Amino acid sequence: MRLELGKIKINNVQFGEKTEVVKGTLYVNKDEIIKLVLEDDRIISADVELARPGESVRIAPVKDVIEPRVKVSGGGEMFPGSINKVRQVGSGRTHALVGAAVVTCGRIVGFQEGLIDMSGPAAKYTPFSETNNICVVIEPAKGIETHDYEAAGRIAGLKVAAYIGEAGRNTEPDEVVVYETKPILEQVNEYPGLPKIGYVHMLQSQGLLHDTYYYGVDAKLMVPTFMYPTEIMDGAIVSGNCVAPCDKVTTFHHLNNPVIEDLYKRHGKDLNFIGVILTNENVFLADKERSSDMTAKLCEFLGLDGVLITEEGYGNPDTDLMMNCKKVSQKGVKVVLITDEFPGRDGKSQSLADAVEEGDALVSCGNGNVIINFPPMEKVIGTLDFIETMIGGYEGSLKPDGSIEAELQIVIASTIANGYNKLAAKGY
Amino acid sequence: MNYLKDGTYTDVLKKTRDLIHSNYKLLTHPMSGSLKPNQTPYKSVIVTEGCGRIDYESVILIENSMDAAYKFLKFKKTPLWTEKILNDFKTVDLSLIENVIKNPMFNAI
Repeated sequence: MRLELGKIKINNVQFGEKTEVVKGTLYVNKDEIIKLVLEDDRIISADVELARPGESVRIAPVKDVIEPRVKVSGGGEMFPGSINKVRQVGSGRTHALVGAAVVTCGRIVGFQEGLIDMSGPAAKYTPFSETNNICVVIEPAKGIETHDYEAAGRIAGLKVAAYIGEAGRNTEPDEVVVYETKPILEQVNEYPGLPKIGYVHMLQSQGLLHDTYYYGVDAKLMVPTFMYPTEIMDGAIVSGNCVAPCDKVTTFHHLNNPVIEDLYKRHGKDLNFIGVILTNENVFLADKERSSDMTAKLCEFLGLDGVLITEEGYGNPDTDLMMNCKKVSQKGVKVVLITDEFPGRDGKSQSLADAVEEGDALVSCGNGNVIINFPPMEKVIGTLDFIETMIGGYEGSLKPDGSIEAELQIVIASTIANGYNKLAAKGY
Repeated sequence: MNYLKDGTYTDVLKKTRDLIHSNYKLLTHPMSGSLKPNQTPYKSVIVTEGCGRIDYESVILIENSMDAAYKFLKFKKTPLWTEKILNDFKTVDLSLIENVIKNPMFNAI
């Protein structure tokens, strides 16, 4: 598959009569967005607020973040199987409004996940302090069941991102990047002297608020499969996970997967990027055995020399991570793990909930237990009612003056286990 | 089924460990879900009667889970939440275990 990704750089967002891009400023029509969201009668009210980098704004609780994109050519539409027809994507041309993001906020459960600060000491821990955010604040209909509200919130975010993405359809991009992966035999023969590297992408798949979807299929119902890396850039994978803020892989992070991005940068230079194996993180131990067996089988079948593996979550997924590591290694394929750590506030405890002898190469995305203090913001989009029940928060986290003392894990994507962050660990 | 009405997450883990030492085998991961151990007022775990001997994979899994739980609980206790929020926790715990019970392979084991 060959995809041209046209990046339209957005450096400001404003409300306007028409949703369009004019000289780097994204204008959005607030009423049209609200009308679109309220088409779903599971949502009783919606509002739209804007948050720009550097502003004294705190957004909480955050459900998902999505980059507005549009499929210009090549077949299919954005987010296939979720809000659009389930046609194959990943080819042709797609435009992205880079520097803009749709953020959905709203109460789903009392421990609803994390926050984004647009300025101040906590801002540096999330990439969304640097994007121009269109925050869609939603309120569920009375008496609605939690599963329904989660689905409604998820779909609302995707619909708004696709609607805003349309503004980029006929806009000339500032930069066009070409990504290409050929069918296996052609790809291997294109760079015969280079090591064949794959990416095992583990998808969160445990249940309510812990789900991911591939072409609309619930990842817990999948068996491991091969994906062309460009499919993810057209929204083939969307997030239904919103419990643990720090290592939540938002839909934005799926669209901008950093492992895929970096493997493509080195493709044809010092490695041959063969493709992506998708697998899951089910609670049922028998599912873990099946998925890790099949992941190892696919790695061997594709003739890979090495793989990178990323996960989403902590605890249960660490077992999948280690099972994948062990079984892939035993096939003679070299493995490097990328994940975040929870070694306690002093950093001295075991980082992961599981370990195997074969797990001897790991790149850390940071420690989620570190305590940080951050000041109040002038404006809150959403509500601070749930700060103390968010993961990373605790009784006394929210001070009377609005400042917060909490573990780093309260900030959206602060230690995200696919490496899209600025934290690491060093050994001495 | 064992329901530890006033029990905590660590009580569930300890009971699970005791059963594993009596030859029971884990069918689900004791650390299911993204809630950290110090924010887990409800936890369901499924075990099955084994085949008359210790299942070492279950032993390792439960011991790792207990280590991880103690690590988090060392720093912060589980808070006392309102009824509404506790219901939210129950809903998520139910979903995590319900999906396993609905799995066609579950009845085959």
